Amino acid sequence: MSAEREPSKPVVKRIYRWDLDKTYLQTEFDTIRQLVRTAFQKAHEKKAVPGAAALIRELKATGEAKLCIVSGSPTQMRTVLSEKLKLDGVEFDELVLKDNLRNLVRGRFKAMRGQVGYKLPVLLESRSRAPVEAEEVLFGDDAEADAFIYSLYADMVARRVSEPVVYRVLEAAEVYPDDIERVMERWKTIPEADPVRRIFINLDRLTPPAAFAHYGPRVVPIFNYFQAALVLLGDKHLNAPAVLRVMIELVQTAGYNLLTLSNSFQDLLRRGLPIGDVAQSLVEALQGPAAMFQVVRPVPDIIAAFSKRVVALGAQPAPVKSRDIDYLSLLDDARPRTHKKRRRFE
Amino acid sequence: MSAVAPVTIAFDVMGADHGPVEIVRGAAQLTLDTPHIHALLVGDRGQIDEALKTVRHNAERVAVHHAPEFVSMHEKPNTALEAKPNASVLVAAKLVKDGEAQAMVSAGNTGAGVLACARTFTLIPGVRRAALATVYPTAVGRGAKNDPFSLILDVGATVDASADDLVAFAVMGSAYAKIISKNEAPTVALLSNGTEAQKGPSRVVEANSKLQGLPGVRFIGNVEGVDIPKGTADVVVCDGFVGNVCLKMLEGVSETVMELAKYAYKEKLLWRAGLAMLSSGIERIKEVTDWEQYGGAPILGFDRLFIKAHGRSKARAIGNAGKVAARAVSHDLANAIQGMLPKA
Repeated sequence: MSAEREPSKPVVKRIYRWDLDKTYLQTEFDTIRQLVRTAFQKAHEKKAVPGAAALIRELKATGEAKLCIVSGSPTQMRTVLSEKLKLDGVEFDELVLKDNLRNLVRGRFKAMRGQVGYKLPVLLESRSRAPVEAEEVLFGDDAEADAFIYSLYADMVARRVSEPVVYRVLEAAEVYPDDIERVMERWKTIPEADPVRRIFINLDRLTPPAAFAHYGPRVVPIFNYFQAALVLLGDKHLNAPAVLRVMIELVQTAGYNLLTLSNSFQDLLRRGLPIGDVAQSLVEALQGPAAMFQVVRPVPDIIAAFSKRVVALGAQPAPVKSRDIDYLSLLDDARPRTHKKRRRFE
Repeated sequence: MSAVAPVTIAFDVMGADHGPVEIVRGAAQLTLDTPHIHALLVGDRGQIDEALKTVRHNAERVAVHHAPEFVSMHEKPNTALEAKPNASVLVAAKLVKDGEAQAMVSAGNTGAGVLACARTFTLIPGVRRAALATVYPTAVGRGAKNDPFSLILDVGATVDASADDLVAFAVMGSAYAKIISKNEAPTVALLSNGTEAQKGPSRVVEANSKLQGLPGVRFIGNVEGVDIPKGTADVVVCDGFVGNVCLKMLEGVSETVMELAKYAYKEKLLWRAGLAMLSSGIERIKEVTDWEQYGGAPILGFDRLFIKAHGRSKARAIGNAGKVAARAVSHDLANAIQGMLPKA
């Protein structure tokens, strides 16, 4: 693993942890050709997922927040990835990349494609340096095992999962014994807390949201970062103008329109996300004097579009209740996507 | 995001033979395949959500509108719509009328669908009666797509059609075939009991006379029933009474042929062997004449489009019905029809 920067601020109240490929960056590496192309792309050729950069900028702008990136990209890509983030105006506090050259030299081929044995120790290590009261919001995608790893990490820190279960999970994920020991040791040093508020899963592969129902309401599959911004507004991590700025980036750079945005809003309502009250804050922000919102006017059309989507649904469903996650029944999710034992949603 | 203007199709999710799941699956697939098509799912919200949860879709292109009632297949359309003002098919039609969607698709009760359109939509100026059209597999291909299907209208919406109605049907059928079958100059014929212009009831004779030389319509005269499966004309025009009898007869013949084939298969080993040898050819015919690729039959004549999908439609047919509807909207079918109608 590579070196990390010193935190830029002494007081950290919130930590936002992001994956890169398919979460922040639009990356294709399903074929050898795509993999090679990705490896040789220059910073300006890399494309961020629409809205991701705007969302990170808004989250960082709240102050007292830290951006920690942990990615499966090789350490050799540090320069180009750092450049890309700089181009997007994203300031990170940690950027951890995977040292696959080391894995190759040591003949640890399972570690090269495994995600659990790589990300879990990195997350725990980072947590061990964080203030105990710091809240966390995690961002991943549906391409690998992010929902599983992030949930397990959250429940390990909160001591909602037992040692034997963690052992079995790590064994099933084909983590090498010395890495298992490393995870267990690091875990014991972390003070008990319940910091993880949300886990957003970017649906790069358009996996049906129900595929993540086993992870409870903490895990929120999203079709775009406007949805994440809405939920974070409901969770009071963002204010309404910040959400509108994310929306504007989607409209201006990715062709989003009233229809796609209002549909995204309604999708969250249908899934029982507690965002019923955010509509009013958005309306107030839109009606405010901020000149930048002129680009998304006429405001009455926006308000009408969102209101119609709410009215069309009739009564709201009850919010989904959280429950303990049975990790042993979800072991398939811990395996690499290409593993023959992994079940498919498609 | 696509550069093509987005089109929203309202899907009446309720009342089909296979329940809401197949309709939702078809619409969901459409949101993945065709970025410019948005699906507005109308029906019981709980059932729609349940179906959507487990199927791949793009939520940016899906909206749900709750409708607490629906008309089932066995209900009388008029009575049912009177008793159920919030029936999904009626709500869907109203949403189209209000501009929330540009066309609608339903696999539910046909009569209720037609009636919902009649109560909600407006007839195109120059059109007095709407027509229900259907496609029928023929022996020849036509248009850029080498489409084996001919269009027959009306097959049941207007039982008593006048000569002017038949002319309007000819124009509507021609415009539809141009857009959907990508057939630049579809041939149009009147269904009669002889090919001579003077044959048939007075309304058919009069329509024949009016269609001769009508600009924009490639009228080839009268055809007989035998010409329908031969594919002599791309668009076959008749009144709803004749069309419906004709359609049911064609369906009956098709079913009887299948029954005879089944009988032959059971009866003699030699016949079974013969059928087995023909199986790949039969499969090919099934592929070419697969009605699911068309998705459904349009109700023509209104300012908004309604595609009536078969009651037993599965997801693929529903998706294709949505594509046909979107194509008709993108090419502004209603305006195309109005432009081709004879000026009063």
